[in-house]
Amino acid sequence: MTTEWWNVTVDTRMCVRTGLCAASAPEHFELDANGQGHARSATLPASEEVLEVAESCPIEAIGIRDADTGEQVFPPPGS
Amino acid sequence: MTTVDTVYWDPYDPALARDPYPLYARMREEAPLYYNEQHKFYAVSRHADVQRGLADWQTYSSSRGDILEIIQADIELPPGTLIFEDPPVHDIHRKLLARVFTPRRIATLEPRVRAYCRRALEPVTGAERFDLVEAVGAEMPMRVIGMLLGIPEADQPAIRDLTDETLGTEGGGKINHEDILSTDAFKDYIEWRKRHPSDDLMTELMTAEFEDENGITRTLTDDEVLTYCSVVAGAGNETTGRLIGWFGALMARYPQARRELAADPTLIPNAIEEILRFEPTGPFTGRYVTKDVELYDRTVPAGSAVLFIQAAANRDPRRFDDPDRFDIHRVTQHMSFGVGAHYCLGAALARLEGRIAAEEILERFPGWDVDWDHAELAQTSTVRGWKTLPLVVEGAR
Repeated sequence: MTTEWWNVTVDTRMCVRTGLCAASAPEHFELDANGQGHARSATLPASEEVLEVAESCPIEAIGIRDADTGEQVFPPPGS
Repeated sequence: MTTVDTVYWDPYDPALARDPYPLYARMREEAPLYYNEQHKFYAVSRHADVQRGLADWQTYSSSRGDILEIIQADIELPPGTLIFEDPPVHDIHRKLLARVFTPRRIATLEPRVRAYCRRALEPVTGAERFDLVEAVGAEMPMRVIGMLLGIPEADQPAIRDLTDETLGTEGGGKINHEDILSTDAFKDYIEWRKRHPSDDLMTELMTAEFEDENGITRTLTDDEVLTYCSVVAGAGNETTGRLIGWFGALMARYPQARRELAADPTLIPNAIEEILRFEPTGPFTGRYVTKDVELYDRTVPAGSAVLFIQAAANRDPRRFDDPDRFDIHRVTQHMSFGVGAHYCLGAALARLEGRIAAEEILERFPGWDVDWDHAELAQTSTVRGWKTLPLVVEGAR
Protein backbone atom coordinates (compact mmCIF):
# COMPACT_ATOMS: atom_id res chain seq x y z
CA MET A 1 0.00 0.00 0.00
CA THR A 2 1.46 3.35 -0.98
CA THR A 3 -1.22 5.37 0.74
CA GLU A 4 -2.34 5.84 4.31
CA TRP A 5 -5.96 6.95 4.03
CA TRP A 6 -8.86 6.18 1.76
CA ASN A 7 -12.10 7.96 0.97
CA VAL A 8 -14.70 5.23 0.99
CA THR A 9 -18.13 5.96 -0.48
CA VAL A 10 -21.27 3.92 -1.06
CA ASP A 11 -23.16 4.80 -4.24
CA THR A 12 -26.71 4.94 -2.91
CA ARG A 13 -28.18 4.79 -6.42
CA MET A 14 -26.65 1.36 -6.90
CA CYS A 15 -26.79 0.02 -3.34
CA VAL A 16 -29.47 -2.64 -2.83
CA ARG A 17 -28.95 -2.76 0.96
CA THR A 18 -27.52 -6.18 1.35
CA GLY A 19 -26.00 -5.09 4.66
CA LEU A 20 -22.96 -7.18 3.89
CA CYS A 21 -20.45 -4.32 4.39
CA ALA A 22 -21.62 -3.56 7.93
CA ALA A 23 -21.88 -7.25 8.75
CA SER A 24 -18.39 -8.14 7.56
CA ALA A 25 -16.52 -5.04 8.81
CA PRO A 26 -18.65 -3.41 11.54
CA GLU A 27 -15.72 -1.29 12.70
CA HIS A 28 -15.60 0.45 9.31
CA PHE A 29 -19.18 0.34 8.02
CA GLU A 30 -22.62 0.83 9.53
CA LEU A 31 -26.24 0.84 8.41
CA ASP A 32 -28.77 3.62 8.87
CA ALA A 33 -32.33 2.92 10.04
CA ASN A 34 -33.36 2.04 6.47
CA GLY A 35 -30.60 -0.50 6.07
CA GLN A 36 -28.50 1.79 3.88
CA GLY A 37 -24.80 1.12 4.48
CA HIS A 38 -22.05 3.75 4.63
CA ALA A 39 -18.50 4.16 5.90
CA ARG A 40 -18.31 5.18 9.54
CA SER A 41 -16.08 8.15 8.72
CA ALA A 42 -15.17 10.17 5.64
CA THR A 43 -11.71 8.60 5.52
CA LEU A 44 -10.63 5.15 6.59
CA PRO A 45 -7.09 3.85 7.04
CA ALA A 46 -6.09 1.86 3.98
CA SER A 47 -6.37 -1.85 4.67
CA GLU A 48 -6.75 -5.18 2.96
CA GLU A 49 -9.97 -5.64 4.92
CA VAL A 50 -11.68 -2.52 3.54
CA LEU A 51 -10.55 -3.46 0.03
CA GLU A 52 -12.04 -6.93 0.50
CA VAL A 53 -15.35 -5.44 1.61
CA ALA A 54 -15.46 -3.30 -1.54
CA GLU A 55 -14.52 -6.25 -3.73
CA SER A 56 -17.11 -8.48 -2.08
CA CYS A 57 -19.99 -6.01 -2.35
CA PRO A 58 -22.41 -7.99 -4.52
CA ILE A 59 -23.22 -5.05 -6.75
CA GLU A 60 -19.93 -3.16 -6.38
CA ALA A 61 -21.56 -0.09 -4.88
CA ILE A 62 -18.50 0.76 -2.78
CA GLY A 63 -15.85 3.04 -4.26
CA ILE A 64 -12.41 3.74 -2.83
CA ARG A 65 -10.15 6.70 -3.61
CA ASP A 66 -6.80 7.71 -2.22
CA ALA A 67 -7.59 10.52 0.24
CA ASP A 68 -4.46 12.49 -0.71
CA THR A 69 -4.23 12.11 -4.45
CA GLY A 70 -7.87 11.35 -5.28
CA GLU A 71 -6.63 8.42 -7.30
CA GLN A 72 -9.16 5.65 -7.77
CA VAL A 73 -8.33 2.46 -5.87
CA PHE A 74 -11.52 0.45 -6.39
CA PRO A 75 -13.04 -0.36 -8.79
CA PRO A 76 -9.62 -0.60 -10.44
CA PRO A 77 -9.15 2.28 -12.90
CA GLY A 78 -9.81 1.39 -16.51
CA SER A 79 -12.06 -1.54 -15.68
CA MET B 1 -49.69 -19.84 23.23
CA THR B 2 -53.36 -19.11 23.80
CA THR B 3 -54.09 -17.10 20.66
CA VAL B 4 -55.59 -19.12 17.86
CA ASP B 5 -54.49 -17.69 14.55
CA THR B 6 -57.20 -17.89 11.94
CA VAL B 7 -54.62 -18.01 9.19
CA TYR B 8 -53.04 -21.41 8.78
CA TRP B 9 -49.72 -21.84 6.97
CA ASP B 10 -48.02 -25.19 6.68
CA PRO B 11 -44.68 -24.81 4.91
CA TYR B 12 -44.67 -28.55 4.21
CA ASP B 13 -48.02 -28.51 2.41
CA PRO B 14 -47.30 -29.38 -1.24
CA ALA B 15 -50.65 -27.90 -2.31
CA LEU B 16 -49.30 -24.46 -1.49
CA ALA B 17 -46.58 -24.70 -4.12
CA ARG B 18 -48.78 -23.41 -6.91
CA ASP B 19 -49.68 -20.02 -5.49
CA PRO B 20 -48.66 -19.24 -1.93
CA TYR B 21 -49.05 -15.47 -2.37
CA PRO B 22 -52.67 -14.97 -1.28
CA LEU B 23 -51.86 -16.76 1.96
CA TYR B 24 -48.65 -14.75 2.41
CA ALA B 25 -50.71 -11.58 1.92
CA ARG B 26 -53.10 -12.67 4.66
CA MET B 27 -50.21 -13.47 6.98
CA ARG B 28 -48.67 -10.04 6.36
CA GLU B 29 -51.96 -8.31 7.20
CA GLU B 30 -53.62 -10.58 9.76
CA ALA B 31 -50.73 -12.36 11.45
CA PRO B 32 -47.50 -10.42 11.01
CA LEU B 33 -46.20 -12.60 13.81
CA TYR B 34 -47.51 -16.04 12.99
CA TYR B 35 -47.31 -19.13 15.18
CA ASN B 36 -47.84 -22.65 13.89
CA GLU B 37 -48.97 -25.00 16.67
CA GLN B 38 -48.55 -28.18 14.72
CA HIS B 39 -44.95 -27.67 13.64
CA LYS B 40 -44.06 -25.36 16.53
CA PHE B 41 -42.49 -22.40 14.77
CA TYR B 42 -42.98 -18.66 14.36
CA ALA B 43 -42.98 -16.78 11.07
CA VAL B 44 -42.73 -13.13 10.02
CA SER B 45 -43.68 -11.86 6.60
CA ARG B 46 -43.51 -8.05 6.47
CA HIS B 47 -40.57 -6.56 4.60
CA ALA B 48 -39.33 -4.46 7.51
CA ASP B 49 -39.46 -7.43 9.91
CA VAL B 50 -37.70 -9.78 7.53
CA GLN B 51 -35.01 -7.21 6.75
CA ARG B 52 -34.40 -6.38 10.40
CA GLY B 53 -34.54 -9.99 11.57
CA LEU B 54 -32.22 -11.49 9.00
CA ALA B 55 -29.64 -8.79 9.71
CA ASP B 56 -29.79 -9.42 13.49
CA TRP B 57 -27.70 -12.56 13.91
CA GLN B 58 -27.29 -11.99 17.64
CA THR B 59 -31.01 -12.55 18.18
CA TYR B 60 -31.73 -14.83 15.26
CA SER B 61 -28.92 -17.33 15.09
CA SER B 62 -27.87 -19.60 12.23
CA SER B 63 -25.92 -21.91 14.56
CA ARG B 64 -28.55 -24.61 14.28
CA GLY B 65 -29.02 -24.23 10.55
CA ASP B 66 -31.45 -22.32 8.37
CA ILE B 67 -33.98 -25.06 7.57
CA LEU B 68 -36.85 -25.52 10.01
CA GLU B 69 -36.53 -29.26 10.59
CA ILE B 70 -32.75 -29.02 10.97
CA ILE B 71 -33.08 -26.25 13.57
CA GLN B 72 -35.61 -28.31 15.46
CA ALA B 73 -33.54 -31.49 15.24
CA ASP B 74 -30.88 -29.72 17.33
CA ILE B 75 -27.94 -31.55 15.84
CA GLU B 76 -24.28 -30.75 16.06
CA LEU B 77 -23.10 -29.15 12.81
CA PRO B 78 -19.48 -29.38 11.68
CA PRO B 79 -17.34 -26.25 11.33
CA GLY B 80 -17.10 -24.76 7.83
CA THR B 81 -20.79 -25.05 7.04
CA LEU B 82 -21.03 -21.23 6.79
CA ILE B 83 -24.78 -21.23 6.40
CA PHE B 84 -25.03 -22.85 9.82
CA GLU B 85 -22.70 -20.51 11.70
CA ASP B 86 -22.74 -17.12 13.38
CA PRO B 87 -20.09 -14.40 13.49
CA PRO B 88 -17.22 -14.33 14.34
CA VAL B 89 -16.57 -17.94 13.24
CA HIS B 90 -18.87 -17.51 10.25
CA ASP B 91 -16.92 -14.48 9.09
CA ILE B 92 -13.58 -16.27 9.33
CA HIS B 93 -14.93 -19.10 7.21
CA ARG B 94 -16.80 -16.88 4.78
CA LYS B 95 -13.71 -14.76 4.09
CA LEU B 96 -11.91 -17.84 2.80
CA LEU B 97 -14.53 -18.18 0.10
CA ALA B 98 -15.45 -14.54 -0.41
CA ARG B 99 -12.45 -13.64 -2.57
CA VAL B 100 -13.45 -16.29 -5.09
CA PHE B 101 -17.06 -15.10 -5.27
CA THR B 102 -16.53 -11.37 -5.86
CA PRO B 103 -18.42 -9.98 -8.88
CA ARG B 104 -15.06 -9.52 -10.63
CA ARG B 105 -13.82 -13.06 -10.13
CA ILE B 106 -17.21 -14.45 -11.09
CA ALA B 107 -17.32 -12.29 -14.24
CA THR B 108 -14.20 -14.06 -15.52
CA LEU B 109 -16.28 -17.24 -15.77
CA GLU B 110 -18.63 -15.68 -18.32
CA PRO B 111 -17.06 -17.09 -21.51
CA ARG B 112 -17.08 -20.64 -20.13
CA VAL B 113 -20.59 -20.35 -18.73
CA ARG B 114 -21.83 -19.05 -22.06
CA ALA B 115 -20.05 -21.78 -23.99
CA TYR B 116 -21.66 -24.39 -21.75
CA CYS B 117 -25.10 -22.80 -22.09
CA ARG B 118 -24.80 -22.77 -25.89
CA ARG B 119 -23.80 -26.42 -25.94
CA ALA B 120 -26.75 -27.27 -23.72
CA LEU B 121 -29.18 -25.44 -26.00
CA GLU B 122 -27.78 -26.90 -29.21
CA PRO B 123 -29.79 -30.15 -29.15
CA VAL B 124 -33.11 -28.31 -28.67
CA THR B 125 -32.48 -25.54 -31.21
CA GLY B 126 -35.16 -25.80 -33.89
CA ALA B 127 -37.34 -28.03 -31.71
CA GLU B 128 -41.07 -27.33 -31.47
CA ARG B 129 -41.10 -28.07 -27.79
CA PHE B 130 -38.60 -28.94 -25.08
CA ASP B 131 -38.34 -29.03 -21.31
CA LEU B 132 -36.37 -25.97 -20.24
CA VAL B 133 -35.56 -27.44 -16.83
CA GLU B 134 -34.15 -30.58 -18.36
CA ALA B 135 -32.24 -28.74 -21.10
CA VAL B 136 -30.66 -25.99 -18.99
CA GLY B 137 -31.98 -25.53 -15.46
CA ALA B 138 -31.08 -28.91 -14.03
CA GLU B 139 -27.60 -29.07 -15.43
CA MET B 140 -26.10 -25.61 -15.81
CA PRO B 141 -25.62 -24.58 -12.16
CA MET B 142 -23.75 -27.76 -11.24
CA ARG B 143 -21.59 -27.43 -14.33
CA VAL B 144 -20.71 -23.89 -13.33
CA ILE B 145 -19.96 -24.90 -9.74
CA GLY B 146 -17.91 -27.69 -11.22
CA MET B 147 -15.93 -25.11 -13.23
CA LEU B 148 -15.32 -23.16 -10.02
CA LEU B 149 -14.31 -26.17 -7.98
CA GLY B 150 -12.34 -27.68 -10.85
CA ILE B 151 -14.31 -30.92 -11.07
CA PRO B 152 -13.83 -32.89 -14.30
CA GLU B 153 -16.89 -32.61 -16.54
CA ALA B 154 -17.48 -36.33 -16.63
CA ASP B 155 -17.98 -36.49 -12.84
CA GLN B 156 -20.36 -33.54 -12.56
CA PRO B 157 -23.76 -35.15 -13.24
CA ALA B 158 -23.15 -37.72 -10.47
CA ILE B 159 -22.39 -34.97 -7.98
CA ARG B 160 -25.51 -33.05 -8.98
CA ASP B 161 -27.72 -36.09 -8.47
CA LEU B 162 -26.31 -36.72 -5.03
CA THR B 163 -26.96 -33.13 -3.97
CA ASP B 164 -30.49 -33.07 -5.37
CA GLU B 165 -31.38 -36.31 -3.62
CA THR B 166 -30.26 -34.80 -0.35
CA LEU B 167 -32.28 -31.61 -0.61
CA GLY B 168 -35.26 -33.04 -2.45
CA THR B 169 -38.34 -33.73 -0.36
CA GLU B 170 -41.33 -35.38 -1.96
CA GLY B 171 -44.91 -34.46 -1.18
CA GLY B 172 -44.36 -32.42 1.95
CA GLY B 173 -41.55 -34.54 3.37
CA LYS B 174 -38.73 -33.25 5.52
CA ILE B 175 -35.02 -33.26 4.89
CA ASN B 176 -33.01 -35.98 6.57
CA HIS B 177 -30.42 -34.16 8.66
CA GLU B 178 -27.84 -36.90 8.21
CA ASP B 179 -27.99 -36.60 4.45
CA ILE B 180 -27.59 -32.86 4.33
CA LEU B 181 -24.10 -33.04 5.78
CA SER B 182 -22.92 -35.82 3.52
CA THR B 183 -19.68 -35.01 1.74
CA ASP B 184 -19.30 -38.30 -0.10
CA ALA B 185 -19.62 -36.69 -3.50
CA PHE B 186 -16.32 -34.87 -3.18
CA LYS B 187 -14.33 -37.34 -1.09
CA ASP B 188 -12.54 -39.25 -3.83
CA TYR B 189 -11.96 -36.10 -5.75
CA ILE B 190 -10.03 -34.22 -3.05
CA GLU B 191 -7.26 -36.85 -2.93
CA TRP B 192 -6.79 -36.54 -6.66
CA ARG B 193 -6.78 -32.74 -6.52
CA LYS B 194 -4.05 -32.76 -3.89
CA ARG B 195 -1.75 -34.38 -6.40
CA HIS B 196 -2.94 -32.13 -9.23
CA PRO B 197 -3.28 -28.58 -7.92
CA SER B 198 -4.65 -25.91 -10.28
CA ASP B 199 -6.22 -22.46 -10.09
CA ASP B 200 -9.61 -23.78 -8.95
CA LEU B 201 -11.54 -23.12 -5.76
CA MET B 202 -10.77 -26.48 -4.19
CA THR B 203 -7.01 -26.00 -4.55
CA GLU B 204 -7.38 -22.50 -3.13
CA LEU B 205 -9.31 -23.86 -0.15
CA MET B 206 -6.70 -26.54 0.49
CA THR B 207 -3.81 -24.10 0.42
CA ALA B 208 -5.20 -20.85 1.88
CA GLU B 209 -3.72 -19.93 5.25
CA PHE B 210 -5.99 -18.24 7.76
CA GLU B 211 -6.21 -17.46 11.44
CA ASP B 212 -8.85 -19.65 13.04
CA GLU B 213 -11.16 -18.82 15.97
CA ASN B 214 -8.46 -19.93 18.42
CA GLY B 215 -5.91 -17.55 16.93
CA ILE B 216 -3.97 -20.35 15.23
CA THR B 217 -2.72 -19.80 11.68
CA ARG B 218 -3.36 -22.92 9.64
CA THR B 219 -4.87 -24.36 6.47
CA LEU B 220 -8.22 -26.13 6.31
CA THR B 221 -8.41 -29.82 7.12
CA ASP B 222 -9.63 -32.22 4.43
CA ASP B 223 -12.94 -32.57 6.23
CA GLU B 224 -13.38 -28.81 6.31
CA VAL B 225 -12.57 -28.50 2.60
CA LEU B 226 -15.15 -31.20 1.89
CA THR B 227 -17.75 -29.39 3.94
CA TYR B 228 -17.11 -26.16 2.05
CA CYS B 229 -17.47 -27.90 -1.30
CA SER B 230 -20.70 -29.57 -0.24
CA VAL B 231 -22.13 -26.31 1.07
CA VAL B 232 -21.26 -24.43 -2.13
CA ALA B 233 -22.70 -27.20 -4.29
CA GLY B 234 -25.82 -27.61 -2.19
CA ALA B 235 -26.57 -23.91 -1.97
CA GLY B 236 -25.94 -23.02 -5.57
CA ASN B 237 -27.35 -25.89 -7.52
CA GLU B 238 -31.10 -26.24 -7.25
CA THR B 239 -31.72 -22.58 -6.36
CA THR B 240 -30.04 -21.29 -9.52
CA GLY B 241 -31.64 -23.98 -11.65
CA ARG B 242 -35.04 -22.92 -10.43
CA LEU B 243 -34.25 -19.29 -11.30
CA ILE B 244 -33.81 -20.31 -14.93
CA GLY B 245 -37.13 -22.16 -14.76
CA TRP B 246 -38.89 -19.10 -13.39
CA PHE B 247 -37.44 -17.05 -16.23
CA GLY B 248 -39.05 -19.45 -18.72
CA ALA B 249 -42.38 -19.48 -16.90
CA LEU B 250 -42.65 -15.72 -16.33
CA MET B 251 -41.64 -14.87 -19.88
CA ALA B 252 -44.48 -17.09 -21.11
CA ARG B 253 -46.92 -15.46 -18.72
CA TYR B 254 -45.76 -11.93 -19.60
CA PRO B 255 -45.01 -12.00 -23.34
CA GLN B 256 -44.77 -8.21 -23.55
CA ALA B 257 -41.82 -8.28 -21.14
CA ARG B 258 -40.27 -11.12 -23.15
CA ARG B 259 -40.55 -9.13 -26.39
CA GLU B 260 -38.92 -6.13 -24.72
CA LEU B 261 -36.00 -8.23 -23.49
CA ALA B 262 -35.53 -9.91 -26.86
CA ALA B 263 -35.45 -6.47 -28.51
CA ASP B 264 -33.12 -4.97 -25.92
CA PRO B 265 -31.01 -7.49 -23.97
CA THR B 266 -29.50 -4.70 -21.85
CA LEU B 267 -32.75 -4.85 -19.87
CA ILE B 268 -32.07 -8.44 -18.85
CA PRO B 269 -30.06 -7.84 -15.63
CA ASN B 270 -32.87 -5.76 -14.15
CA ALA B 271 -35.42 -8.31 -15.31
CA ILE B 272 -33.49 -11.01 -13.45
CA GLU B 273 -33.79 -8.92 -10.27
CA GLU B 274 -37.54 -8.65 -10.79
CA ILE B 275 -37.81 -12.40 -11.36
CA LEU B 276 -35.89 -12.92 -8.11
CA ARG B 277 -38.29 -10.59 -6.30
CA PHE B 278 -41.44 -11.98 -7.85
CA GLU B 279 -40.65 -15.68 -7.55
CA PRO B 280 -37.74 -16.24 -5.16
CA THR B 281 -36.45 -19.81 -5.48
CA GLY B 282 -35.76 -19.92 -1.74
CA PRO B 283 -39.04 -18.61 -0.29
CA PHE B 284 -38.10 -18.55 3.39
CA THR B 285 -35.15 -18.84 5.77
CA GLY B 286 -35.11 -20.31 9.27
CA ARG B 287 -33.32 -19.02 12.37
CA TYR B 288 -33.00 -20.06 16.00
CA VAL B 289 -34.10 -17.47 18.58
CA THR B 290 -31.35 -16.89 21.19
CA LYS B 291 -33.24 -14.63 23.61
CA ASP B 292 -36.84 -13.64 24.33
CA VAL B 293 -38.05 -11.13 21.73
CA GLU B 294 -41.12 -8.88 21.86
CA LEU B 295 -42.89 -8.77 18.50
CA TYR B 296 -46.40 -7.44 17.92
CA ASP B 297 -47.15 -7.48 21.66
CA ARG B 298 -46.21 -11.10 22.03
CA THR B 299 -43.11 -12.79 23.37
CA VAL B 300 -41.21 -15.10 21.10
CA PRO B 301 -39.34 -17.20 23.63
CA ALA B 302 -35.66 -18.03 23.43
CA GLY B 303 -35.24 -21.46 21.89
CA SER B 304 -37.97 -20.97 19.27
CA ALA B 305 -37.55 -21.51 15.57
CA VAL B 306 -38.63 -18.65 13.31
CA LEU B 307 -39.10 -18.55 9.56
CA PHE B 308 -38.45 -15.29 7.72
CA ILE B 309 -40.65 -15.40 4.62
CA GLN B 310 -38.72 -13.51 1.96
CA ALA B 311 -41.30 -14.40 -0.68
CA ALA B 312 -43.90 -12.53 1.39
CA ALA B 313 -41.58 -9.61 2.16
CA ASN B 314 -40.87 -9.23 -1.56
CA ARG B 315 -44.55 -8.46 -2.11
CA ASP B 316 -45.16 -6.23 0.88
CA PRO B 317 -47.15 -3.21 -0.37
CA ARG B 318 -45.49 -1.15 2.40
CA ARG B 319 -42.25 -1.56 0.49
CA PHE B 320 -43.23 -2.07 -3.17
CA ASP B 321 -45.83 -0.23 -5.20
CA ASP B 322 -48.35 -2.59 -6.73
CA PRO B 323 -46.26 -5.57 -5.54
CA ASP B 324 -48.19 -8.28 -7.40
CA ARG B 325 -47.44 -6.65 -10.73
CA PHE B 326 -44.47 -8.14 -12.60
CA ASP B 327 -42.49 -5.20 -13.93
CA ILE B 328 -39.04 -5.69 -15.44
CA HIS B 329 -38.36 -1.94 -15.20
CA ARG B 330 -38.93 -1.78 -11.46
CA VAL B 331 -36.00 -0.72 -9.26
CA THR B 332 -36.10 -3.69 -7.00
CA GLN B 333 -34.40 -4.33 -3.67
CA HIS B 334 -35.65 -7.81 -2.95
CA MET B 335 -34.92 -10.05 0.00
CA SER B 336 -34.31 -13.17 -2.07
CA PHE B 337 -30.57 -13.35 -1.37
CA GLY B 338 -31.05 -12.52 2.31
CA VAL B 339 -29.54 -9.66 4.30
CA GLY B 340 -26.34 -9.04 6.23
CA ALA B 341 -23.63 -11.52 7.17
CA HIS B 342 -25.36 -14.41 5.39
CA TYR B 343 -26.21 -12.50 2.21
CA CYS B 344 -25.96 -15.12 -0.52
CA LEU B 345 -22.28 -15.67 -1.25
CA GLY B 346 -23.16 -16.91 -4.72
CA ALA B 347 -25.39 -13.99 -5.68
CA ALA B 348 -23.00 -12.77 -8.40
CA LEU B 349 -22.83 -16.29 -9.79
CA ALA B 350 -26.61 -16.74 -9.78
CA ARG B 351 -27.03 -13.37 -11.51
CA LEU B 352 -24.41 -14.26 -14.12
CA GLU B 353 -26.03 -17.62 -14.84
CA GLY B 354 -29.51 -16.13 -14.96
CA ARG B 355 -28.43 -13.39 -17.36
CA ILE B 356 -26.49 -15.69 -19.68
CA ALA B 357 -29.27 -18.28 -19.80
CA ALA B 358 -31.80 -15.52 -20.54
CA GLU B 359 -29.63 -14.01 -23.30
CA GLU B 360 -28.96 -17.33 -24.98
CA ILE B 361 -32.55 -18.55 -24.75
CA LEU B 362 -34.01 -15.29 -26.07
CA GLU B 363 -31.56 -15.23 -28.93
CA ARG B 364 -32.61 -18.70 -30.09
CA PHE B 365 -36.28 -18.59 -29.12
CA PRO B 366 -37.79 -15.11 -29.31
CA GLY B 367 -41.23 -16.53 -28.44
CA TRP B 368 -42.71 -19.44 -26.52
CA ASP B 369 -45.60 -20.58 -24.43
CA VAL B 370 -45.66 -23.19 -21.70
CA ASP B 371 -47.65 -26.41 -21.90
CA TRP B 372 -49.02 -25.70 -18.43
CA ASP B 373 -50.93 -29.00 -18.24
CA HIS B 374 -47.66 -30.88 -18.37
CA ALA B 375 -45.59 -28.46 -16.30
CA GLU B 376 -44.83 -29.47 -12.73
CA LEU B 377 -44.24 -27.06 -9.88
CA ALA B 378 -42.60 -28.35 -6.73
CA GLN B 379 -41.87 -26.99 -3.31
CA THR B 380 -39.41 -28.64 -0.95
CA SER B 381 -38.61 -27.29 2.48
CA THR B 382 -35.89 -25.14 0.91
CA VAL B 383 -36.74 -24.42 -2.71
CA ARG B 384 -39.77 -23.66 -4.85
CA GLY B 385 -39.80 -23.88 -8.63
CA TRP B 386 -40.49 -25.86 -11.79
CA LYS B 387 -39.47 -29.49 -11.91
CA THR B 388 -40.67 -29.74 -15.51
CA LEU B 389 -41.39 -26.82 -17.79
CA PRO B 390 -42.28 -27.83 -21.36
CA LEU B 391 -41.87 -24.84 -23.65
CA VAL B 392 -43.88 -24.71 -26.86
CA VAL B 393 -41.79 -22.67 -29.24
CA GLU B 394 -43.49 -20.04 -31.37
CA GLY B 395 -42.69 -20.01 -35.04
CA ALA B 396 -40.88 -23.33 -34.91
CA ARG B 397 -41.77 -24.78 -38.29
